[in-house]
Amino acid sequence: MDLIVAFITGLTTGGLGCLAVQGGLLTSTLAHQIELDLQVHNGAGSSQKFRPHIAQPILFFLAAKLIAYTILGYLLGSVGSVLQLTPLMSAILYFAIGIFMIGNGLRMFNVHPIFRYFVIEPPSALTRYIRRKSKNGASFFTPILLGTLTIFLPCGVTQAMMATALGTGSPLQGATLMFAFILGTSPLFFSVAYFATQLGSAIEKYFTRIVAVTMLLMGLIQVDTGLNLSGSAFSFSRTISILEAYALPTQTGLSIEVTENGYSPQTLHLPANQDLTIEWVTRNTQTCARSVVIPDLFYQTILPTTGRVEFDIPAQEKGAIIRYTCSMGMYPSQLVFDLESTETDQ
Amino acid sequence: MKKTFNVPDMTCPNCAMHLEGLEDEIPGVKRITASYRKLNMEVEFDETMLTVEQIILAANKIGYHPEPNPA
Repeated sequence: MDLIVAFITGLTTGGLGCLAVQGGLLTSTLAHQIELDLQVHNGAGSSQKFRPHIAQPILFFLAAKLIAYTILGYLLGSVGSVLQLTPLMSAILYFAIGIFMIGNGLRMFNVHPIFRYFVIEPPSALTRYIRRKSKNGASFFTPILLGTLTIFLPCGVTQAMMATALGTGSPLQGATLMFAFILGTSPLFFSVAYFATQLGSAIEKYFTRIVAVTMLLMGLIQVDTGLNLSGSAFSFSRTISILEAYALPTQTGLSIEVTENGYSPQTLHLPANQDLTIEWVTRNTQTCARSVVIPDLFYQTILPTTGRVEFDIPAQEKGAIIRYTCSMGMYPSQLVFDLESTETDQ
Repeated sequence: MKKTFNVPDMTCPNCAMHLEGLEDEIPGVKRITASYRKLNMEVEFDETMLTVEQIILAANKIGYHPEPNPA
C-alpha cells in the first residue's frame, strides 16, 4: 500500500474509526484532565485561546503513539518477512482483512447482531488499568504511557493496517506504513483532545455512517485484491479489465510493457500448445507493477526499474487463461492461449 | 451483590469502556464489566450502599439506559 494512501486512510477513516475506540477513553480524558489542571493553575474556566502548555501533553501522547505503532509496524513487517508470504497466503490475508472491514462496516450500520463479533474487545482489566493511569497526575509520563498503551486498543481500521504491515514482509515497509497511517490519524486526535469531550462525541455520532461506508468500500477493495492475488477469474477489477480488452483489437506479440498504469496489453493472446518465452519490458517503472505475480505458475519476480526480463511459459492447451497481477493485487491482466502457432512471431 | 443489566443502546466498544468507567464514579460499586458484543454489563456492588435504581440513574446520566436482567 502506498504511504500516501496509508496517510490519507489515517486522516479520514483511521482517525474517525479510532476516535470511537480510543478517543473517548484516552484523549478526552487527557484533555479533561488538562483543562482541570488549567482551572486550578489559572483560576479560570476553559479558555478558547491557544495555549502551548495545553497542547504539549497531547503532543506527547500522539508522539508516543506514533513511535509505539512504528515499532509495532517494524515488528509486524519482521514477522511477515520471516513467514515469506506466498501469493496465496497474501491473497488469504487480504481476503481476511476485507471480510473483517466489511463486517465492521455492517456492524456500524447495525445490520445484524452477529457483526458485533467483528470487534476485538480489549480485556476489561487492561482498559481499567489504562483508565486509572489516565487519572493520575498530569505529568508528561502519563500521556506518554497512554499513547504507548493505545497499541493494545486498536480500532478496526488500525487492525486492518496492522495486517497490511504484516503482509509487506519488510520491517522497514511495515514501520513506514504504520508511521504514515498513525501520522494521518493525529490531526483529528489532536483536535478532539484539544477541544475536549463535547466535540468528540459530536464527531463520533456525525461521522459513524461515513466511516461505515468507507469501511465497506475499503473492505471490498481488499477482497478484490485477495481475489486477484489468488488468480481467481472473478474479481471486480478483473471483470472491468476484461471488458475493456473486449473493446480493443486482439493484442498479440511476445512482450508486455510494464508501465506506471499496469500491464499493456492487459489481455495478451498467445499461441497454444507450444513453449513460449515472453518478455517483461520496464521503462523507468516505479509502481508495484514491477512486482509480478502469476499464481497459477507459482511465478513471482521483481523486475528492474528499466530493462527487459524474459520468462518461459510451458505449452498451454488451447483456450487456457493464465491470470497475473502485481504483488499488491492491482492491475489484473491475463494471457489467453487461443492462437495457432503461426499467428504470432516468436 | 452481582447484577446483570441489558444495555441495548451501546453502539461501539467505547460505550462498554464508558460504562466500566462508572465503577470509579459511583461509591459502592466494586466492579463493572461491560460487553458491547453481548450488549450487557455486570455490576458488582455493595447493596448496603447502593440500589439498582441508583446504578440505572448513573448510567442514564452518561447516556445509557440499562434494564435489569431478570435472569
